[in-house]
Amino acid sequence: MNDKIEMPDLMVYAMASQIKNFDTVLHGVASPLPVIAMNIARKTHAPDMAFISGAEGVDPEVARIYPSSFDPRSNRKAVGYFGLHEAFDLAQRGELEVMFLGAAQIDRYGNTNLSVIGDIDRPKVQLPGGAASAFLMPITPRVVVWITRHSNRVFVEQVDFVTGQGYNKRPEEYRNNELVVISNLGVMNFKNSERVMQIQSCHPGRTVDEIREKTGFDLLVAPDVGETPVPSTEVIDLIHEIDPDGIRWTEFR
Amino acid sequence: MRRVLTSLEEAASIVKDGDLVTTGGATFHRAPMEFVRELVRQERKNLTLVDREPAMDFDLLIGAGCVAKIRAGMLAFEVLGLAPNFRRKSEAHEIITKEGACQPIIAGLRAAAMGLPSLPVKGMLGSDLLDISEVIGGYKQVEDPFTGERMLAVRAIEPDVAVIHVQKADEYGNVRVEGPFYEDVIKAKAAKMVVVTAEELIPNDEFRKMPQATTIPHFLVDAVVETPKGAYPCSCFNYYDADYGHIQEYLETVANDQFKEYLEKYVLRERSS
Repeated sequence: MNDKIEMPDLMVYAMASQIKNFDTVLHGVASPLPVIAMNIARKTHAPDMAFISGAEGVDPEVARIYPSSFDPRSNRKAVGYFGLHEAFDLAQRGELEVMFLGAAQIDRYGNTNLSVIGDIDRPKVQLPGGAASAFLMPITPRVVVWITRHSNRVFVEQVDFVTGQGYNKRPEEYRNNELVVISNLGVMNFKNSERVMQIQSCHPGRTVDEIREKTGFDLLVAPDVGETPVPSTEVIDLIHEIDPDGIRWTEFR
Repeated sequence: MRRVLTSLEEAASIVKDGDLVTTGGATFHRAPMEFVRELVRQERKNLTLVDREPAMDFDLLIGAGCVAKIRAGMLAFEVLGLAPNFRRKSEAHEIITKEGACQPIIAGLRAAAMGLPSLPVKGMLGSDLLDISEVIGGYKQVEDPFTGERMLAVRAIEPDVAVIHVQKADEYGNVRVEGPFYEDVIKAKAAKMVVVTAEELIPNDEFRKMPQATTIPHFLVDAVVETPKGAYPCSCFNYYDADYGHIQEYLETVANDQFKEYLEKYVLRERSS
């Protein structure tokens, strides 16, 4: 029953699907959906992934999530600690396979803005900042950008400020690294020769036309466009178990 | 070893107006909140603050008028909201904000810790962050002399003072951190002066029994203050959890234009004993 599946659960499942078994994966700050997605992946198709928490625990048993993704309670039963700066060193070696990042704006090339709305010297809105975005976006083999409010104010022709580098801004040697965008409407990737955004799948009940209409640039459509797979009831139960307070809804309000 | 145990008032006076200051911990965890409250009480001015991912410690200092400039990778209250004083004062141009990114800020601190003038990092190229004229230190594109790889050299960031809240210390400044370290060891090596506030003072003998558990040795530390609940309302692992309810209250009071009342209630009247 597709209409019974809640949006955070669907997005979490799509995000978890981006993790392969044996991947080394890191989550950052303010990341309830990535933390849940990493847990789902580990408990389902990627039991051997290396889970590096932003709270610095390695392979912790995340019994539940907290308003802070760095809450040290998330490190319970970790096998050890690995500092964020060590995880960044790993990324420089090309050995951090997956990272999840946010965006207040994104354009067709995948440039993200988390810095300011308006001019950088005269910001209309001072955003929190990109954290690791500018460092990790180009060099990480698979970056998953999650966006909970898909609209043409977020998916824009041109971002006000390039915090994280899309394909037209990054050095040539990083052009083969993958970028996937998961929104509340669908899953987008850049698997075409121009490296511009295209719809890979629409979430159940959404259409290509609707997603294109809510996007501020000419969004392409993958030749094999389909429907986003939905989580099983077992997966949904796991999500609810790890987030009894519904922190995953925060970004949707 | 010299005895460096002192009072909170004395330790806070190590920070001078206009200093470059960094704090230990990350977001709501092991932030040196009681020390920060003392800086507010002492009406410190024109500080430049630098850290990878700070939160309430920076926002409180900004709101209280202690800050001139900010360099951070991200400054927000995680999913609880934006950092309210930071946002307001940045948009009103009352403070200068120069966003960094986590790895370059850490690299700048690491360079200082290693006694190097700069340290290269990967990534970064192509971001508009490179165009921002830097407040502290700076960035420059460089080529590796061996491979020709283009990278970003980050100038060393040497804070005047690093303030680190920890679980255990002795009167000489030996420190035992429990749980995640964040960049605290790097900061202790990078800063000119290091102030440690500790939940608990333990005898020097305890350190000698288990030297591998020592996170920061005494010679890096200039002042130690026994400060129970020194991270509150942020967490201190093994001692107490973050009080998200209090942090919410902070956000609401600032949103309702009652930050002064917050300061009055929780900072100015609450002198630690």
